[in-house]
Amino acid sequence: MIKTIAKPAEKKITGCGECRSTCQSACKTSCTVGNQSCERVTREQKIERK
Amino acid sequence: MFSLLLALLIGEKMVHVFEYHGKHYLYDTGSGSLHECDEKTARYMKGDVTSLTDAEIKEILSDVEGLKKEGLLYAEEVKTYPFKSTEVKALCLHICHDCNLRCKYCFADEGAYHAAREMMSLETAKAAIDFLLKNSGSRKVLEVDFFGGEPLMNFEVVKQTVYYAKEEAAKLGKRFLFTTTTNGLLLTDEIIEFFNEEMENVVLSLDGRKEIHDEVRKTVNGKGSFDAVIEKIKKFVRARGDKHYYVRGTFTAKNLDFSKDVLFLADNGFDSLSVEPVVTEIPDLQIKEEHLPIIEREYELLCDEYLRREEKGEGFNFFHFNVDLEGGPCLQKRVSACGAGNEYFSVVPNGDIYPCHQFAGDDKWKMGNVKEGVLDQDIRLQFATSCLFTRKKCDGCFAKFICSGGCNANNYHYNGDINDPYEMTCAMMKKRIECAMHILAERKCRQSGEN
Repeated sequence: MIKTIAKPAEKKITGCGECRSTCQSACKTSCTVGNQSCERVTREQKIERK
Repeated sequence: MFSLLLALLIGEKMVHVFEYHGKHYLYDTGSGSLHECDEKTARYMKGDVTSLTDAEIKEILSDVEGLKKEGLLYAEEVKTYPFKSTEVKALCLHICHDCNLRCKYCFADEGAYHAAREMMSLETAKAAIDFLLKNSGSRKVLEVDFFGGEPLMNFEVVKQTVYYAKEEAAKLGKRFLFTTTTNGLLLTDEIIEFFNEEMENVVLSLDGRKEIHDEVRKTVNGKGSFDAVIEKIKKFVRARGDKHYYVRGTFTAKNLDFSKDVLFLADNGFDSLSVEPVVTEIPDLQIKEEHLPIIEREYELLCDEYLRREEKGEGFNFFHFNVDLEGGPCLQKRVSACGAGNEYFSVVPNGDIYPCHQFAGDDKWKMGNVKEGVLDQDIRLQFATSCLFTRKKCDGCFAKFICSGGCNANNYHYNGDINDPYEMTCAMMKKRIECAMHILAERKCRQSGEN
């Protein structure tokens, strides 16, 4: 039995650069991109919810 | 027969099989998908076919093939290299190379960065803003982080720099997001109000339990600083409303039971937390390899309590347990990591530019000065071309598209090369990611009414 928990919404290579600089997200020592969300996707989801 | 074929296939592909409290997970590095499976499937995926019947193997293969067709298992990694951006996106302004604390583990030499204690002048801060705007190309949103030492020791310059930056950005149709990192000692009502008005994010340093905090975060007079900051930070957080902040702590070899500190902070009403392993070579504070099993166990304890509290509606946000597999960063971001030395730089009080705050003061890495407005292109190229695929140790690591090969500065300071990841950091990172994935799975179970 294999059950899918999560899969990427789409495979994105965009590099639009809208995301925040990683180092400013929280800790300035071991912040990593995987702890961030895509700002563009987040913004679009917010607009959709409205 | 089936097993032999599959074993050959598996040998070529990157699926991370791991277990957490009796639950078995498969993380597919190429697609970024996470699956839960039964124990037999997990065993099979690891190449152990003992005691599996042909019928069981057939069933597993059928599941695997189905997911492969959907691109969710054994997906090919897409290799993309970072765009060579010439635009500058963010600056860390060392607004003050001095500090009102003397923390034992401070990477910044207790605020002085191995040089004279000094403040950034408004003139230099304005030159840094001009430098950023001039080099920001088509980017509309720019970022400035006020950093130190302790930036509130030079608050007037912080304030005036914000006003100046906003005014200049508006002329160009751009805008700034500001962050301040502070120890909280100088927080006042005026500063809290200003921060809530102007700062997109505020990072406040607090290590956790009083005795832990006081052991390392000392005042200039050598006393513990916990009592002097706790109420101020609480007041700030109460006034912050739903705006971003992080209470950020450090754990050292002296508090390997750091989950207690995270929970202490949560119990004190802070709901956005980040507690980080110390970066130091001070013998009694340094995290060593023999500490790893304890640290990994602590992350598990924290993860379990994190889920328990979440279920009771008393959840909080622990930065390292955030892994967004569905809407996370694009591949470009994942391979090019933090952007230090390429699109993100640090500026020290005299205007000198470094790849990031952790390189500040090291002449080898000086890249220019904001008043001259020129960047050393050799150093920039080193950082611009440094990416996941130039870090050989990351080949074959399941976590690579989440951690991006670690922190350039940590890699350099521990291993002498920005492309040589520090293994201790890797081990902790992998554990945190497994915890984060387990959290995602548990949430999904909860949402669907299972368990």
